[in-house]
Amino acid sequence: MLEIKNISKIYGEGPAKVVALNNVSLRVNEGDFIAIMGPSGSGKSTLLNIIGGLDYPSRGEVILDGERIDNLGENDFVDIRRGEIAYVFQEYHLLSSLTALENVMLPLTFCGAEKGEEQALEILRRVGLAGRAEHKPSQLSGGEQQRVAIARALVNSPSLILADEPTGNMDQKMGREILDLFHQLNKDGRSIIMVTHAPEIAKQAKEIIVLQDGQIVDKISQQGGEQ
Amino acid sequence: MKLYQMVVKDVIRRKKRVLYASLGVVIGVTTIVAVLTIALAAEANIYGQIEKYGANLMVMPAISDIDIGLGGLSLGTLAIGENYISEDKLPEIRRITDGKIREALGIEDEGNIATIAPKLYMNTKVNGTSVIVVGVDPQEEHKLKTWWRVSEGRYLEGPDKALVGATAAELLELNVGDTITLNGREITITGILEETGSNEDYQVFVPIETAQKAFNKEGLVSSIDVRALCSACPTADIASSINENIPGVRAVAVKQIAETEMGMMEKISKFLLALAGITLAVGCFGVVNTMMTSVHERIKDIGIMKAVGASRNQIIKIFLYEAIIIGVAGGFFGYVAGTLLAYIVGPLVFKGVAVTYVPQYFLPSLVLATFIAVIATVYPAFRASKIKVADSFRSL
Ligand SMILES: Nc1ncnc2c1ncn2[C@@H]1O[C@H](COP(=O)(O)OP(=O)(O)OP(=O)(O)O)[C@@H](O)[C@H]1O
Ligand SMILES: [Mg+2]
Repeated sequence: MLEIKNISKIYGEGPAKVVALNNVSLRVNEGDFIAIMGPSGSGKSTLLNIIGGLDYPSRGEVILDGERIDNLGENDFVDIRRGEIAYVFQEYHLLSSLTALENVMLPLTFCGAEKGEEQALEILRRVGLAGRAEHKPSQLSGGEQQRVAIARALVNSPSLILADEPTGNMDQKMGREILDLFHQLNKDGRSIIMVTHAPEIAKQAKEIIVLQDGQIVDKISQQGGEQ
Repeated sequence: MKLYQMVVKDVIRRKKRVLYASLGVVIGVTTIVAVLTIALAAEANIYGQIEKYGANLMVMPAISDIDIGLGGLSLGTLAIGENYISEDKLPEIRRITDGKIREALGIEDEGNIATIAPKLYMNTKVNGTSVIVVGVDPQEEHKLKTWWRVSEGRYLEGPDKALVGATAAELLELNVGDTITLNGREITITGILEETGSNEDYQVFVPIETAQKAFNKEGLVSSIDVRALCSACPTADIASSINENIPGVRAVAVKQIAETEMGMMEKISKFLLALAGITLAVGCFGVVNTMMTSVHERIKDIGIMKAVGASRNQIIKIFLYEAIIIGVAGGFFGYVAGTLLAYIVGPLVFKGVAVTYVPQYFLPSLVLATFIAVIATVYPAFRASKIKVADSFRSL
């Protein structure tokens, strides 16, 4: 469903030049569950951003369902973001003035849904935050904010979920629950790409991709992943 | 949840930030409304003073003052010509004046329109003190001197009666019921005027026939005050028509005199309007500045909203709704604050000016504030919505 070909991303110029991604190619098929690993600064977030059309690559192509999307204008991404691809940001990126519930409802609001409260509450319940629906992000812990961000990504039933360290701020138990949720979604036919630092979490993916200095240095296929 | 519901909730929660953003609008509108309200009060004051002159037009005997001088040295003036106007010129003056007014206003009414008040000034001694006795047409004079208030007794109502100015009554120790002699003629004081603050306070008013008989000036008047009761009346035109058609008289439009005398006030009023213009520009600039800043602060939020599916139109709508809320609220508070400010500052700037609130400024305040807030918000929001999501996250 999604393919990136020879992607490079270069930040800055001259002495401040950083090659964040160097000639990276990758295929994501329907039902994939990919874990991206690699040291800090190896380009994991950059890769995820480019896959999701949040950032432009310096070189290379991003092809979604047979069509290039790397050169689309911002307005052309609207439909892709309303159901095709959803992100869970490393820094959560919740709107600070809205409650958890309203943050989760946001994608529905932009789709023109008049209601959506029940739907949003149901997802919040699934990430274990039904009791925090009326709280503002500032009143939530890092892990809780992360779960709100996950709920927000799921509310539109996207076919591809891009999650940047979605369990980074959670204890093991919570992290396991979130991972179970991802497995569930994956079984329902959704593709998942997930950045993680933790090997025990990566092990549960169907495929592990290891990045180093902006290049893919290893691809490990794990049939079905460990449960 | 609909988009506007989200914006309203958001604005209510971010009260402080929104209030800060609207501060520019409030300050801008406050200054503009204050300056304009004061300027309007000052202008009303100027016209009020011109109105107090009573007459729009003065008709005097055609005396030419010839300067007698040697080189640059003035040796005084010499009056040449008649000192009085014959009474039988009055109907002609009325005909010309009413005719011109009818023409100007497009009316065909047959009755008298203008007030035409002849006067006979006489310098005489009463109880040994020099005073000016003014013979007037009681009815016409009453229409002219709208500010006259009789403090004691009654207004002039018959021959050989007198109405005395406040200061004159005091100096001559005159009371209602007293009699005075004018050139040997006995006159009864029937009324005393309240103080007016002009030289009328020093004068004694008698019916014009009484003055004419007492001073042997039958059929003569010193000057004629003409008052056309409309602001659009062509006073200058009337004056020149009188000058052309009636020999021996000179008509001057008082407004011209008054306006030169009010020149200073006029200049101040103009200055105030210029100030209002500058305030408007500065106010707009301030609004644009604060609104742009508030959009800029939310570039990251714009990125987030786009990442979860907002279109550019929706982003712009969000900021549009917010700008309308800010504009209407800012315009409202600005109008109220500006009016209050005018009440406080107005009397300090212009002594004796009565400031009144101007309801006609209310709607323009709202419209202007909203318009500027919308322009200042939507444009930067439009630009911000073009930024790639990842870049908007980096912007802070
Ligand atoms: N906006 C930017 N300008 C300049 N350099 C950048 C920018 N964003 C990222 N980089 C650089 O690109 C490289 C890759 O960054 P990226 O955020 O993709 O790393 P990462 O693998 O996600 O790291 P982490 O595990 O710490 O999140 C880093 O060296 C970083 O310094
Ligand atoms: Mg990262």
